[in-house]
Formats: sequence, C-alpha cells, structure tokens
Amino acid sequence: MPAKRDVEIKSRKDTLDLITPEIRPWPVSPPPSPEEVKKFYGKRKAEEFGQWLEDNLKFEYSFGKPEALQGFKVLDIGLWRLGHKFASALLSQAGAEMICIEPPGGDPMRQLTPFGREEYMLADKETGEKCGLGFIDHMRNKYSVTLNVETPEGQEVFKKLAVHADAVIDSTLPGYMDKLGIGYRQLKEINPRLVYCWVGLKGQWGPMKDRVSNFGQWELDPIAQAVDSYIHNTGFPQDQLPRGKGGDPTRAGCWAADYVAGTQTGINILAALYWRDEVSNEGQFIEVTSAEALMDILDFDIGWYGFNASIKGRTGGWDPNLNQYEWNPCKDGYMMIGGQSDRLWYRIGMCIERDYPQFGRLIHEDPFLKEVGARNALHALIKTYSVTTRWLRDINRVEAETKLMDYEIAAGPVLYIDETCEFPHFKYRPWVYTSETDYGTVLYATSNNAYQQRAPHRLKWLGRRLGKDNYEIYQRWVGTGPTKVDELKGKGVI
Amino acid sequence: MAGEIRPKSKEELEEMKIPYEEYCRKAFDPGNEWSKPDALKGIRWLSCTMYIFTPHSACNLAELGAEVIKIEIPRMGDAMRHTSPFNEAYLYPLHDTRPMTGTGYGFLNANQNEFFLSLDYHIPEMREVFYNLVRQSDGLTELYRPGTFDRWKMSYRTLQQINPRFIYVWGGGFGYGPKVFGGSYDILAQAHAGFASITGMHENMGGHATKSSNWVMDWNSGSLITFGVLGAIHWRRKTGLGTMIEFSQVQTSTMFTEYAVPLYGRFGIVRQRWGNWDTQLCVHGIILCGKSDFPDAQNPQDKFDARYVMVSAFQDRDFQELCNITGQKQLYDKHKAHKNRVEALAQIEIYNALEKWAADKTRSQVVKAMTDAGILAYPVMNDREVYENPHYKERGTIRWLDDPLYGDVLLQSGYSTGHMSKTPRKVNWIWRPVGADNVKLYRDMLGYPISKIEEWYAKAWI
Repeated sequence: MPAKRDVEIKSRKDTLDLITPEIRPWPVSPPPSPEEVKKFYGKRKAEEFGQWLEDNLKFEYSFGKPEALQGFKVLDIGLWRLGHKFASALLSQAGAEMICIEPPGGDPMRQLTPFGREEYMLADKETGEKCGLGFIDHMRNKYSVTLNVETPEGQEVFKKLAVHADAVIDSTLPGYMDKLGIGYRQLKEINPRLVYCWVGLKGQWGPMKDRVSNFGQWELDPIAQAVDSYIHNTGFPQDQLPRGKGGDPTRAGCWAADYVAGTQTGINILAALYWRDEVSNEGQFIEVTSAEALMDILDFDIGWYGFNASIKGRTGGWDPNLNQYEWNPCKDGYMMIGGQSDRLWYRIGMCIERDYPQFGRLIHEDPFLKEVGARNALHALIKTYSVTTRWLRDINRVEAETKLMDYEIAAGPVLYIDETCEFPHFKYRPWVYTSETDYGTVLYATSNNAYQQRAPHRLKWLGRRLGKDNYEIYQRWVGTGPTKVDELKGKGVI
Repeated sequence: MAGEIRPKSKEELEEMKIPYEEYCRKAFDPGNEWSKPDALKGIRWLSCTMYIFTPHSACNLAELGAEVIKIEIPRMGDAMRHTSPFNEAYLYPLHDTRPMTGTGYGFLNANQNEFFLSLDYHIPEMREVFYNLVRQSDGLTELYRPGTFDRWKMSYRTLQQINPRFIYVWGGGFGYGPKVFGGSYDILAQAHAGFASITGMHENMGGHATKSSNWVMDWNSGSLITFGVLGAIHWRRKTGLGTMIEFSQVQTSTMFTEYAVPLYGRFGIVRQRWGNWDTQLCVHGIILCGKSDFPDAQNPQDKFDARYVMVSAFQDRDFQELCNITGQKQLYDKHKAHKNRVEALAQIEIYNALEKWAADKTRSQVVKAMTDAGILAYPVMNDREVYENPHYKERGTIRWLDDPLYGDVLLQSGYSTGHMSKTPRKVNWIWRPVGADNVKLYRDMLGYPISKIEEWYAKAWI
C-alpha cells in the first residue's frame, strides 16, 4: 500500500506542487537503451549502418559541432504573433545571433496563458517576473532587449543596431516602421546589404491588407486560416456529425498559418543572404504572410477550383485523395491507417481479415476497388472505412497498432501530448527534451534539423525575461555603456 | 552619423515620397518576376523523392531558381501522380507508353520547375550513371527506408567520397532509433505527435480529433528541410564541406502545439482540443450564423456552408463594443477582464450568446455589423471565394499560368510563399511527364549517346 500523504486537496491550486518535474520527472520511464535499439537495426540487417547513423548524427553530439549560421546577426521586432517568433527561432537554432526587440512594456504575448490561468505561467528565478509558456517556448537562443522605437532616440539606437545586422524580421503593422523612418526604404541607405523581411497575416498592401480594429486590436491567426480556405476545408461534414456539434469547419488547434509563414520566412531570408553573399552584395525586401504561406501548401485545393470549379468540402478524419489514409474511432480513441499502393492496401486487408474475414469478401473482392485510382471515389472511401471501422470498434489502439505493425503498415493511434512525450522512439532521439532555463527546467520540442553530421541546429537556451540582455547587447552592438542605458531607461526609451 | 539617411539621387528622393503601400507594390511588382534574377542560380539538386514531404523540400529550391532534377521510377513515376481528389482531376499523358493514364492533381504544387528523369536504382549498371549525377550536383533529398540507399552504395557514406561538397538529406518518418524502419505519412505525423490531439471540437461538444484536410505536416516538413539545406549551403561556403541531415517529419507535429509540451513537462497537464475557439484569447473564434450567404447556390459548399464568421475582439474595448452591438451588455459587465472571459466556462457562455445573436442573420450581415462597428471579423472563405478575392489576385499569389504542356493552370503556390523584391520566386511549369527530360540530361549533361539512352529505355532501366 502506498503511504498516505499528508496533503489536503481543496482546489486545483493544491495539486500544483504535486506534479512538478521533481516529483513527476520527464521521462516517466527511461528511453530504450542503445543495445535494445541495435536489435531493431538488426531486423533488416542494418546494424552497421544504424551504428554509422548514430555515430554521425546523434543529437547528443551536436554541441561538439559548429553552427551553420555562425556569424549572422539578425534583429526580430514584432508583437503578438508566432510567425516572426518561429522564424527567428529557426534562424537562432541554426546559429545566427538573434536579438528580439520588444517595447519597454513587453510583447503582450508574454501574458498569454491557457484559459487565463496564471498558475501555468513560469516565474523568472531572479526577478519573479511571470511569463506565459507559449512565449517562453518560442524564445529560443534569443537575446531580449527593450526599445521604444517611437521615440527619436529609440530610432537612432535601432538604426545603429541595423547597421550591424544581416537581416531584420519585422512583424509590426504595415508601414509602421517606415513611418518611423526605420523601415526597409530608409535602412537600405545605411546598410545596403540588409535583408529586410516583413511578416504579417495578409499583407502590407492590397485590398485585404492587415489592419487593426477601431480600438487598436491586431489581427491574429486563425484569421489567416479563415481567409485562405484552410478552415472551410477542415473538419467533419454535417453528414457525419450535426452542425454546431462537431460537424463544422474547424481551425487548426494551433496558429498553424503562423508556423508555416515562419518557416518560409526562414527560407526566404537564407536564400536572399545566399544571393547577397554569392552574387550581388545587395540586400533586399521580403514580405511573407501567414494566409498566403499557408495557401501555398493547401495541396491542390484552389488549383482544383481552376480545373473544374470544384469547391472542396470537409471529410473529417478521412483524406479525399487516398484510400486507405484516414483515422477512425476505435474502442479507446482513434486509429490511423495508411497505405494506398496495391502492396500496402492488400496487406492492410490481410491483417484485418485475420479477425474479421468479411473484410476480404467486401473489400478485396469488390471489382471497383481493385484499381488504385478508383478507390479514391467518395463512395469507395465510405465503403472501405465503414468496414474498417467495424473491425476497429471492438479493439483498442494498442491492439490495432500491434496487429498492423506485424504487417509493416504505416499505422498509429492519435496520441495525446503525454503519450507523445513518452513515446519510446521520441524519447530515444530525443525529440522532446529538457532545458534548464531561467524559469526552471522546461520540456520542449527539439528542432528536426538537429540530427546532422556537420552543423546541426540546436537549442542553447530557452526563454528570456524582458530586457535581460539590454546592457550586454547595447554595449556590444551600439557602444552604449550601462550608465547611458540606465539613463535611456529612465526616459522610457529602453 | 550612422543613423542619418540622405537620398543619394533624384530617384531615391522620389522613392522616399511614394506612399508606403504604393512603394511595396512597386518593390514586389507581381507579374514581372522574370525581369529579376534567381536567388539560387547555380545550385543543382537531385530529388530522389515521392509523395509531398520530400518533393516539397526540393520544390522550394526550384522556385528559388535552383536546377532540380527529379528522379522517378521508369514508366510509373512518383506515387503522387496517381493521386487525385476523388479520382477526377488528371492531366495527360503520364508517360509516352501510357497515353491513357494521367498525372493527378495530387502531384500539383510539389514539383514545380523541375526536370524529370527516370532511373531504376535497382539496376547495378545504372549506379555509375547515378554517381555521375552526384559528381555534378550540390546535393540530394531521398526518402527511402533507412539502409536502402546504403545497400545500393548510394548513401552518404559512399557519396561523400565521390563529392565531399555533397549535401545529403534523408527525409522520413522517424530516423535512427527503435522505430527506424517505421513508415510514415502526413496523417501519421498529425496523429502521432500532437497536432491531431489539439485539433477539432472538444469531446464534450460532440467533436472528434480532426484531420487537417491538407497535408500540412508533409508540406511544412519539406520546407523545414529546405531551411536546413540552405543553412548547410551557407556553412559549405565557409568550409567547402557537405553534410548529411536526417530529418524526421513526424516531429514537426510536436512543434505545432504551441505551449503543449512545456505545459505537460512542468505541470503534467495534457492539452485538449478546443474546437474553433482559442485557449489563450477570447473573443477570438468562429461562430455559426443562422443563414447562408448563398441560399440559392447550386454548389452545396456555397449553399450550406457560407455560414461561418471568424470574430476577433479580445481586447477590452473591442469586447465591449462587440457586446454593445450584439445587445449583450450583461456579458461585458460579467467578463470585463480578459483573464475572466478567457476561462473555459466564460468562453462557452460568450460564444453561445454570439451564435444566438447571429441565428437570424446571414454570414455577410454578421461580418458587416462587426466591421461597421470597427471590430475585426472575416467570413470563413471557401476555395471559390479565395480564388475570386481581389486581394490575392492583385498580389499575384493566385494566378493563372500558361503551362508549356498543359495550358492554363490555376496556381496557388510559389508566389504565395513570400514576395522578394530582388530575387522573386518563379513558377515556369507545374510538371512534365515521367522521364520527359531523359535525353536532355543523359545526353546533354552526362554525355551518354542517344543509342545508349534508347537501349536503356527499351529495357525499362529509364
């Protein structure tokens, strides 16, 4: 019997101290050992190659290797959004020196916390200043400085910073920096090699450009997802679930359009820097928007409208283009199954047939379903998935996964984040990992570019209290000593 | 003084005076991309890829001006060529030998501007041909199960001997570790690593874990590879050395969960779905209106689904005004502080009240009422509305391409990844049939005689 603990739980607050990493560490169970993993390599006689991969690419070795973008300096100025934050996190994890500029009051995103719960914000160990988890997670390898660019002195300081920068990421309102005399058109005069990228929601120009409400509120994702058809096309159709009760267009759980824009921002900046360094010695002006960057990757959807005026509808957990390629409910959650080539399609069937022989008769022997392309017709999806779900409804996720794995099918359950963080493979690589930060130990998702032979991307630190690096950065980049910084702070410039 | 800005010529003086919006339009100048150079001129990349994820990593490079050679299985091609929405949108032919088979729209947007080579890696005689390609290229992306290219002596272990500057990317589901041979798709990434667990209506509202209609994990992972490749190219400029990147796509899904990982790590709390609302801001969500904007339309997507509005009024003044115009002052009095109205129960109350107010209105009436009051609101647009939206047309991010083989094709990609003032991305063609550039590449680049190429073709080696 476990010992009775001397705690009284009256509210959620009383439980908070019971679930700290000290009591419930990550990972709860240890990752598989290298010896165990070797057995998996052996399954396809790849012990030696597997060893070579680990010797050359292992996450743990990244700190012994150089950084890809070492020497590049980048400024990031913006509020509220994730696009510029994700872009600058990508660049800084690749080795660029990243300075995150916030107004003296800080980015309002620092205050965001799920359902307004302050107890899920983390306090800086030195000052006790609280910050939301989302903001901390995106402050990767970034320095934090404060600067009020609306003051003339602040603009002078910004210009001095920009002289040293290879790139500026700007996620302020359209024309804001230009109006202050520190936009691309002015900065290129003092630093012609500067790559300047504006990141926003819909654009700095055009009939639906970014705007603010009459009361000064910014537009944020998922507005971007709404205006490029992502939301309209995602979710369950009303034939599957009642409208208003799940059968509606659905946004991504996260600010997905911002993440996509952030990725393209990183690419465009690096391509522009390559062209500058390799060819022209000139910087340039870039504009990336969340709505359009997401539109770029909406499969063929809008192209399809151009093909035959089709307007895509919603298909819930199914994919309208592939069969099988879906998740369906099973006993304890959802099970995803994929495999549309003949080889995989029949293997899925062979697996299901073991428990449910009707599957072969109904699906494999249906002449219509024998042609790969024909299987994608809507009625073919309905038939295949109805029969598959008949099998799934009696078993739970792990049973279905084990059975499908025997047939080497790409299948897996919908996992919740705790299951993801504890998934043996993910722990082994690891792709969630801990960092000891100014806010205590924080669990984070690692970069997928961290597994590299020569110049892997990496996380050095996570989270930064507002203005922590004011003294260091202003001394090093602008030549302004601590006395002057304090003076400017007093004037509300820093 | 560092900060002083003086125009150096009359043109620059004029430029400083143009209104900003006009300046941007002029700087990006959509439609005139071909009067400007390519950013990645001179980079040559081999794309040994299929599906969406790894092809997109090379496609980004091709849009930026790199020469990308896509290598496909002879006569069959990329599996994605056989994928099309409900099996209805194809462009013909797939290959000279298969005139009645087309390439499906599933292939669209993932392989633009590329040259199409066919080559059967299984044929030992073709290995030297492949090496010759490697000698003349900057890098490759491949997606085969780990160890496959190694068995064929085509992995980075071999290729770095042939070309030390070579940048080698393996893209797949998992990478080294216990699930090294696990196959993966976009949907597996969505399901397995976090994204699906936070997308969809909450269980208590009748919802299920919802698949993003689009293969976002694949596409964006491809872009993240491109980012890694460009980083490696920068590093190679300094050192002259290539590298190998082992990229697991499933991981992207964990990245797309905002605060969920640190929240779990610190507090053991598992982030759940929250439907069309936002967990950190309120009001910032989608509401259902009573009436469709197009009740008489033929297409059901217009007729039944033009009913949703994205409303954003999370700041106090915005929320106050929202409550005013919807006649719910009591809501404002009750939830004055953002901290209070973003709580779960408050959100349920607020959105239900808004939907009740919208129950007798059309989508456009709701958007208009809010916009007139100075509040941010947008209709949830479908593909037709996005196509017809003048914003994207003017910005050139949705445009028609006169494709050299297939004629008029509507483009949503390439230009929409971002405008660049000096080295804009370009889309020259959407794709070509399997092996369309065999002669061009095998003869003109590698120097094999036509007779040899014909022999390979007859044996289906290419």
